[in-house]
Amino acid sequence: MVAVGSMTGLGRRVPIARRGISGLLESLLAVAGVLVLGAVLLAITGHDPVVAYRELVSRTLLRPTGVQEILVRATPLLLAGCAVLVAAKVGVWNIGIDGQVLVGALAGAITADALTGAGRPWLWLGAALAGLVAGGVWGLVPALLRARLGINEIVTTIMFNYMAMSLTAWLVKGPLRDPSLVVPQTTVIDRALRLPTLGDTRVHLGLVVALLVTGVLGWVLQRTVIGYELAVTGANPRAARHGLIPVATYVLVAFVASGAIAGLAGVNDVLSTKGVFQAEWNPSYGLPAFALVFLARRQVAGLVPAALFLGLLSYGADVMPRAAGVAPAFFEVLEGALLVALALGAWARSRRGQLREDAP
Amino acid sequence: MNVDAVLTALLGAALLGSVPLMLAAVGESIGERAGLLNLGIEGTMLIGGFAGFWVALRFDDLPLGLLAGAVAGLLTGAIFALLAVVAKADQIMIGLGLTLAGGGLTGFLFREVYGSDQPLLPSTMGRPFAGAGDGLPVIGPALLDQKWFVYVAWIIVAGSQVLLHRTSFGLRLRAAGEAPFAVDAAGIDVTRTRFAAALIAGTLTGLGGASMALVELGFFRPNVTLGAGFIAIALAMLGRLTPWRVAAMAVLFGLLRGLDAGLQLTDIPVRAEFLQMVPYAGVVIALIVLGRHMALPAALGRPYVRGQARGDEV
Repeated sequence: MVAVGSMTGLGRRVPIARRGISGLLESLLAVAGVLVLGAVLLAITGHDPVVAYRELVSRTLLRPTGVQEILVRATPLLLAGCAVLVAAKVGVWNIGIDGQVLVGALAGAITADALTGAGRPWLWLGAALAGLVAGGVWGLVPALLRARLGINEIVTTIMFNYMAMSLTAWLVKGPLRDPSLVVPQTTVIDRALRLPTLGDTRVHLGLVVALLVTGVLGWVLQRTVIGYELAVTGANPRAARHGLIPVATYVLVAFVASGAIAGLAGVNDVLSTKGVFQAEWNPSYGLPAFALVFLARRQVAGLVPAALFLGLLSYGADVMPRAAGVAPAFFEVLEGALLVALALGAWARSRRGQLREDAP
Repeated sequence: MNVDAVLTALLGAALLGSVPLMLAAVGESIGERAGLLNLGIEGTMLIGGFAGFWVALRFDDLPLGLLAGAVAGLLTGAIFALLAVVAKADQIMIGLGLTLAGGGLTGFLFREVYGSDQPLLPSTMGRPFAGAGDGLPVIGPALLDQKWFVYVAWIIVAGSQVLLHRTSFGLRLRAAGEAPFAVDAAGIDVTRTRFAAALIAGTLTGLGGASMALVELGFFRPNVTLGAGFIAIALAMLGRLTPWRVAAMAVLFGLLRGLDAGLQLTDIPVRAEFLQMVPYAGVVIALIVLGRHMALPAALGRPYVRGQARGDEV
């Protein structure tokens, strides 16, 4: 019998409640460290970090429109985070999020266009299903290659990202192009047919869907046998096999689910903020989603606050050039440094756990 | 249209365009052989590219720029090594973090230094053997009408091949990736060996990024690599982490990429976007054909902790 503590890779003798709190502290420390690093970078390049951060906070967190925009940005990021987390639970890295978002978004846009006469709920449902299937298929192929031929999924998913970019660009510029428009894109979805906003805000129904997906994911992972077996598969495949858990099937299912959720994130964008699928769109959700999942300490409960933080960074990248003359790339530095800081935190924790176990 | 001229141009462009990929992929191979899976290649290439471009433009000196790119790569490799080898933190997280941060940092600094300008390098690189191969159709000019750094890159590939497979350091390095516990038991410092591998890998990757800006393109822009770093990782695996095979794969990839431009010259009605898929699909197909159950280093991606035996038996 394997102790649950050791299966999650954490110190065996640390009670779960304390683990949660120290994990939260660790994430907060990483965020603080990254913000300090950002301040140093700003100071070196001749910006006033205090002014820059004050502008960031006042334009994002202290304005109703800012808060709404953070929620809008957090929506696809939350879905992308769910996608990364599902795959991470079984121990595979889905770096193909962006490709799956793209094919999902295009499938959603085409389906929505075909269903314009069917009424809004059917249009949304059809587009969502199309996105789930397209994203899932785009995840299935690398998963099958890994399961059947032992081909590393990191490399194939990255290749599938680039293939998705060219494939969707080709489809939109050629066969699927709206001939009445100069810009290569699918037919624009009428505003009245897009996801409705919540009250008098910019926040739309997609956020509710993303929260629902997160909730269902949390329920499956934490309250069902499937979730338990997925976690065992990820923590210790050998033990899982001995426990007669169908490891290969679970890896495949998790990868397809991951792709499908990423596809849904693409549909969300098409049905809300974008309204079309445009060629040469690079969603760039994949790497931030990794930062998001590790910031959430790979726990479903942490995904929402982590998505809000990354949504803040995403919106910050839009407002900071005008507000403080800081290039948007600054926020990529923060996201990258966040991943590194979290990796260091995880290492420090494993060391502490090690020491505790070594003690008599 | 002159078929020979087109073929020469395609082959020549493939050889030139494969240089950055080749250097980065050989660098990644050296790291992976030592057990380090570095997904930060893309960021390292951008850092090397920006540093090289900044120096080359400032001093109007291409060799100095290439050197600066290599040094920037070395420093980035040192950061990766400190985090992944010394601190033993998760390599995937650090690699992805480096890619994000490297892309962000170079994009940020580019705007800081050049604003909205898009400067070009004033001078281009010399072609020492230009005209020497004109006697031989297609292949002669394509091989010998190249900028001098192309030949330097091939020398580096040959040197890496020798280093990995013909020196005792190379043997230790490969052993640190296959069986670090055995290396440790033999009294060799695994940490030091892997650190050295990460430094060499970073240097070659930074040089690769600099060569893209200074040799292939003549300019640097934010995110100019467009995923070349990730392609380098795929090429390293396709070439089974052996420098000469990896270099050959880089040239093949360059040729596939050239198909795009080549077919545009013919009358065959194919859209450019469709052809852009070909090299990436080619990599996947090549992996299916060549890469079944590919033997990667046994300890790839795993930090070595003395006494913690082989990692997966927790």
